[in-house]
Amino acid sequence: MRKLLTTIMMFIFAFVMIYPFLWMISTSFKQPFEVFEYPFQWISDQPTIKYHENVWTGPASFVNYYLNSLKISIISTIGAVFFAAVAAYGFSRIEFKGRDTMFVVYLVAMMIPNQIIFVPKFIMFNAIGIYNTHMALILPGLFTVLGVFMLRQFFIAVPKDISESAMLDGAGHFGIFLRMMLPMAKPSLATFAIIDFSWHWNDFENALIFLLDKELYTVSLGLQNFVLENTVDYNGMMAAATAGMIPMIIVFLIGQKFIVEGLASSAVKG
Amino acid sequence: MKKTGIVLALVLIAVSVLSACSSNGKESGGQAESSAEASKDVVNLTFWGGVPPEAGPQEIVDNWNKENPDIQVTYVRYVNDDSGNLKLDTALIAGQNVDIFANYTKPLLTKRVSSGAALDLSQFTDYNIDDKMGPSAKEWAVDGKYYAMPTKRNMHFVWMNKDALDEAGLPVPTDWTLADVEKYAKALQTDTRWGYTTFPFWRDIVPFDGSLAVQGYVKEDGTSNLGAPIVEKALQAHYDMMHTSKVSPPISLIETTKMNVIAEFLGNKLALLNAGEWMFRDANNLTDYPRDFKVAFAPLPRITQEQDDFRYLGGLGDAIAINAKSEYKEEAWAFLKWYADGGMLPQASGGRIPASKDADQDKAVELLLGDLEDKYDVESLKRILNNDLPTFQVTLPQEVIDLRREEFDKYYIKAQSLEDTINNVAKRHNDYLKRK
Amino acid sequence: MKLNWMRKQQLTGYLFIAPNMVGVSLFIIIPALFSFFLAFTNWEFPLLKADFVGLSNFKRLIQDEVFYTSLKNTLIFLGSVPVSVGLGFLTALILNKSVYFKNALRTMFFLPYITTGVAIAFVWMLIFQPENGPINSILRSLGIDHPPGWLSSTSSAIFVFDIIWVWFLLGYNVIIYLAALQEVSSELLEASRIDGARKLHTIRFVIWPLVSPTTLFLLMTGFIVSIKQMGIFQAITDGGPGNSTTVLSLFIYKTAFRYYDMGYASAISVFLLLIIIAITAIQWIAQKKWVHYS
Repeated sequence: MRKLLTTIMMFIFAFVMIYPFLWMISTSFKQPFEVFEYPFQWISDQPTIKYHENVWTGPASFVNYYLNSLKISIISTIGAVFFAAVAAYGFSRIEFKGRDTMFVVYLVAMMIPNQIIFVPKFIMFNAIGIYNTHMALILPGLFTVLGVFMLRQFFIAVPKDISESAMLDGAGHFGIFLRMMLPMAKPSLATFAIIDFSWHWNDFENALIFLLDKELYTVSLGLQNFVLENTVDYNGMMAAATAGMIPMIIVFLIGQKFIVEGLASSAVKG
Repeated sequence: MKKTGIVLALVLIAVSVLSACSSNGKESGGQAESSAEASKDVVNLTFWGGVPPEAGPQEIVDNWNKENPDIQVTYVRYVNDDSGNLKLDTALIAGQNVDIFANYTKPLLTKRVSSGAALDLSQFTDYNIDDKMGPSAKEWAVDGKYYAMPTKRNMHFVWMNKDALDEAGLPVPTDWTLADVEKYAKALQTDTRWGYTTFPFWRDIVPFDGSLAVQGYVKEDGTSNLGAPIVEKALQAHYDMMHTSKVSPPISLIETTKMNVIAEFLGNKLALLNAGEWMFRDANNLTDYPRDFKVAFAPLPRITQEQDDFRYLGGLGDAIAINAKSEYKEEAWAFLKWYADGGMLPQASGGRIPASKDADQDKAVELLLGDLEDKYDVESLKRILNNDLPTFQVTLPQEVIDLRREEFDKYYIKAQSLEDTINNVAKRHNDYLKRK
Repeated sequence: MKLNWMRKQQLTGYLFIAPNMVGVSLFIIIPALFSFFLAFTNWEFPLLKADFVGLSNFKRLIQDEVFYTSLKNTLIFLGSVPVSVGLGFLTALILNKSVYFKNALRTMFFLPYITTGVAIAFVWMLIFQPENGPINSILRSLGIDHPPGWLSSTSSAIFVFDIIWVWFLLGYNVIIYLAALQEVSSELLEASRIDGARKLHTIRFVIWPLVSPTTLFLLMTGFIVSIKQMGIFQAITDGGPGNSTTVLSLFIYKTAFRYYDMGYASAISVFLLLIIIAITAIQWIAQKKWVHYS
């Protein structure tokens, strides 16, 4: 009984969390003048699906933007997770001189504000010729600091005796990493993957500056098409944004499965 | 269940790989195409502008491309805000993909001239900009030379709900002051309709700089003139309209609801709107903004009755430049001339009237009104289009515009007294002047 | 023998961290160093030349009112991080064992993190709208005649962002705490329950210390991510009214990309970095007092 009450309470709480999301969907089916109407109505008096149609078909379709965003986000995330895991393992499971100092340098790197890196990055990318290509977003996206921090956190918590006995058996660090740590780390890897994917997917500033050709545009850039000269086409924008959240949600659900599985298997191991 | 997750992941990867192949194909295919075309001597130009393509530019570019198969122009739209201009500036530095670009404020153009991105147009002697565009064109010259060609007429004026005017028995004004505006607004205001407001972007510029344009922003001794007495009067008048007579929506309401004042006016929820020619785009769009009242036009209000040094925000806009690093300067110049003398007409329905005397002005007005002539008071419209009121351009640097707005806003939301506001503006402006 | 083994460890260690380190150096550290160097010049983008001006940008910063306002606003804004972490912990506790439909709820809590910024900005603006919004309507019905102006008032605007940010970070905190809570051995929990310990007691003295590394992680990363945050301010108020919602990151952005004053923007960034290093260092050192590693 108590559980039921708590569940209901949490759902009310959760409703507040998803309110903007619901607003997005509601707006995407409304007429322009209804966007700011007060009092707020969930369902429009003259609902329309034309904004959603325009997202998938017609000259202003977003399909290409989705493919571009998918390509960039998937490659970047897979790479980022891998490189971060490798580095996190190094920072946590291997004893070597200077390790902790270097980690502090890392931490400081994480604190550097993005705005000031823009112009130097632009100069660099222009010089090496990846300006106006997807590489300009993928390449830096492969190297995160937060990922290293997050995964190191997890690796530290794994008891040392497991890997020590494997080393006594003659296994090298790389073997331990691949065969023992990675499988065990599935929940953390999945968590970081979800968060990293959402960063790449929603990234706007980088895409704006480094992508010139329309064919290369991502979804977040595409949303700019709805910013007209004097006004903003909120209905169209919300329709495109709603559709844009679908891959994110899919990634989240897939990630959840890994997290749950990983936890289930570690529970079995005890 | 586990299998579904893996399958989904594989699908996502496959999609990304496929799209990687296809976009690579596009990129290399594009290059193959252009090199094949290059051998056919087709020149490809890119034209960057802030207007959404469907509002005219696409038609313009299509028209040109039909007539000029050997010079093909692609239109690239950039959003005319900080990020968008940054995008243009980085593209200019990279020397890629920009042949022709539009500059929307003088400070932005000046920066691009200083960095060498804008071509000095004096090398082309077959087109006299001063002659074609009139005396206001000089305002766009940098160091006495033209690096961009201004192409459209900036027009700022007050939009009025003529039906409401008639109901209240008020004539369309031909010259008025802020006090008159308040009187009109009081008469036209109802429970569902505000009296008067200014288009937010220009709110802190139009009345104030109209006075300072003659007096100057900086006094002879080098200190700020932004605290001049006329500024105080204007501030007070606007404050009163918001809080005393309450004919204007308070700033707080406009900002916290991101009020679309154009939609309010067209929806008969606002009787008088101080705006400009760009509103025609929405005013002519009866699908999204249905209305049945007539619109009349009045010039910008002066601040006080005795004021005789008031300038009307206007002049020219849309200064189009050619990239100094472009490989096709001659072709770009050909396009630019064509554009200025009439090629840009498809944008007239949105309010962009060409400045060039050789452009078909009548056609422009025709396109402007479309088939909605009966929805406009043509007499007052003609008065607005054809007058010789003295005009001015905004030449204040962005930083000063911003700091002034910050202080003014604090006054309007009652967070600061009038005196403090004036003092702060002057002080901050002085700090800025000392630095430069 | 031992020396060889240590050398091998050293090499392996470097090999492991090398790929990520090289990338981070190339794409973050080196550009940052270049930028910091700019703090000693008066470079204006996109001009072609710049002069050395020594410390004058920093002198200017110390006398800049807007800098102090931004600093104050940033610190107020950062207050949302511990609040969100604490709330996240409690929420995760509840979601962990005390509800049905845990997966659905967890997804719902995470949704803000992936919702489009524009939608978030709008909804919160409408909620806090002073004249017509639900918050003030409720306050008025409770008898408060002059509810705060929220985003339209210089004194309350920044606090609206605190509220929005607590909401936004909540999903992230909940997810991470949920993962951490799973790790907390159920045996341990059973043992303490059998001991007769009351729920509150268990939470405070067993669970909280056990997840303290996670708490530290969330606080540290929370502060870092929040101090860099700019988009939400730009979208809702663009720093206004006046400068009451201008935070350091927005101040830097405007200086760099609106006024094109790169030298000064870099100087502000140096300060921003120093501040966040200080905040992080304090947490790192203080962790000895309350963080327990098993």
